Amino acid sequence: MKTIIITKKSDYTWLRDIFPGLHPLLIPLCNKPFIEYLIDFSILVGSSGLRIISDGVISDVENFCEHGSQWGVEISYANILPSESLSKVLEKNSRFCSGERIMIISGLLFIHYNKRSDYRSFFASLPPGEIFGCSNGNLSLTGVPSELGKQETPPLLSPVVLDCIGQYYELSNEILHHRLADYVLPGYSNEAECFIGRNVVLQKSVTVIKPIIIGNNVQIFTGSVIGPGAIIGSNVIVDRESTVSESIVMDNTFIGEQLEVDKKIAAGNLLIDPESGYSLTMEDPHLLSGIKSKGISGSPFQRVTHGLTAAWMIMLLLLPYLLLKPFLKLSGCWKTEKIVYHSMKHGKKISLNRVSIEKQSILASIAVFLSLDRFTWLFWVLNGHLAIIGCSPVSVSQGIQIINNNTAGYRPGVFSYSEAEDWPQNTFDSDIVDHYYAVHSNLIKDIFLTQKALFNRIHHEDKI
Amino acid sequence: MIFHLDTSSEKAIGIAELQGRIDANNCNDLKKSFSQWLQYSSNIVFDCSGLEFIDSSGLGAIVDCLRKALEAHGDLRLSGLGPKVSLIFEITKAKKLFSMYPDSSSAVASFSLLGSV
Repeated sequence: MKTIIITKKSDYTWLRDIFPGLHPLLIPLCNKPFIEYLIDFSILVGSSGLRIISDGVISDVENFCEHGSQWGVEISYANILPSESLSKVLEKNSRFCSGERIMIISGLLFIHYNKRSDYRSFFASLPPGEIFGCSNGNLSLTGVPSELGKQETPPLLSPVVLDCIGQYYELSNEILHHRLADYVLPGYSNEAECFIGRNVVLQKSVTVIKPIIIGNNVQIFTGSVIGPGAIIGSNVIVDRESTVSESIVMDNTFIGEQLEVDKKIAAGNLLIDPESGYSLTMEDPHLLSGIKSKGISGSPFQRVTHGLTAAWMIMLLLLPYLLLKPFLKLSGCWKTEKIVYHSMKHGKKISLNRVSIEKQSILASIAVFLSLDRFTWLFWVLNGHLAIIGCSPVSVSQGIQIINNNTAGYRPGVFSYSEAEDWPQNTFDSDIVDHYYAVHSNLIKDIFLTQKALFNRIHHEDKI
Repeated sequence: MIFHLDTSSEKAIGIAELQGRIDANNCNDLKKSFSQWLQYSSNIVFDCSGLEFIDSSGLGAIVDCLRKALEAHGDLRLSGLGPKVSLIFEITKAKKLFSMYPDSSSAVASFSLLGSV
């Protein structure tokens, strides 16, 4: 079984008007992007591959889903023309389909499912054709059904087509109020009907009434009441004595003090009444406004200084690197491993050679002394993917969830703050040290800590 | 802003038609005009059917007008609020301060039916 997801611009014109720049497959439903629900569902159905097809730009979706390693399913992408029919789309993607059963999800179709259910045998046994269809979306199957393992009682499927803001609001509400247990949702959930993300600050006398979902990096100020039925995205501030109930607050939104947001959608400075569909762009930043994601790459001056330092180190170390590396490699003291890390630039990845040098000879000691194992990393500072000093870079396999959830304070560096402070590497404590300095660093601290990191690396380890 | 008096009932009710935008640029004009309107009647209706936008300064001006009307032993009632303007009144809780009516005639009638102050 494979799955094809087809979205055409005509399916989501309503969404583009409200959230320009946001691809519909990335619109959050209870803080989980829409596409993730589709991926989860296609996995439950038994899909081994998934192709996302669109007549618009899908680079954001590609950046988010990549090749699907996060879900253990292979994801690929294709473009179509707006006028192309389904048969033409299948014909163009015949190599992907290659005689297998194909589930086709067309339009902004949401399918309610239960994470504990197994839909594989049911979908395998269904005859080809349309399972659900309406003017704006349908769910269909192609290929030969299998009679093996046919289920006596078919699982209940209830598709919903997102075709207006009211439908989006209702669907979010339905998940929050009735189907929270059916889906894997982001955030910690120590008790039922309550999901809270990382770095959430609830000041004193804040009242939280379930069900609620709160994203990452959220501050709720004194005297506010959150819930019931509040879905609060990431990077949100709710100022003092405000009430948010039965509402959706999208990412990067500031809710001013003493406001009452009830049955509304707040997205930046846009306030939407989902019932009537009316929206209002607020001009008062103290009432409702957007929050620019806090830059963690430092001030422009700080970035320039990091770049200049990297350039100076490259010039200084180029000759020793070219001379020592071949010798060390031949003697077996120089070992490399290619690892893909998350970059400082949000959503980007970089492939770095992690070098380990065994201090078995004087040459190896000199190489360690000069930090030649990090030499190639310095080039990534020049194009802004790394800082000279920052957090230890997080590999894609290790921390994809962390990065995708916009954790503040991720600023990978050639050298790490925890190295400077001499903490054992790759531990929870070193992560905290890195995070602390990434948020609170300044140029002076960076210079001082870089020197410390270099010094610590020289004399502490036999093998780097 | 157009102001006229409705004398169809036993007492004169002032009706002010608010149009376009009320924001930081013209909220002081509203405050000044309102003080003059109070000389004709302390019971006033703001007909907001032509009001397209209001910001917090405008909202503050309308609340100031309400305060002045109450001090003059009258009342300020709103009519014909559009959905966008209603949103501002709703989230700032200003809706709770005012009596609101779908149109100016029902707002005028409310003064005689419910009895003004």
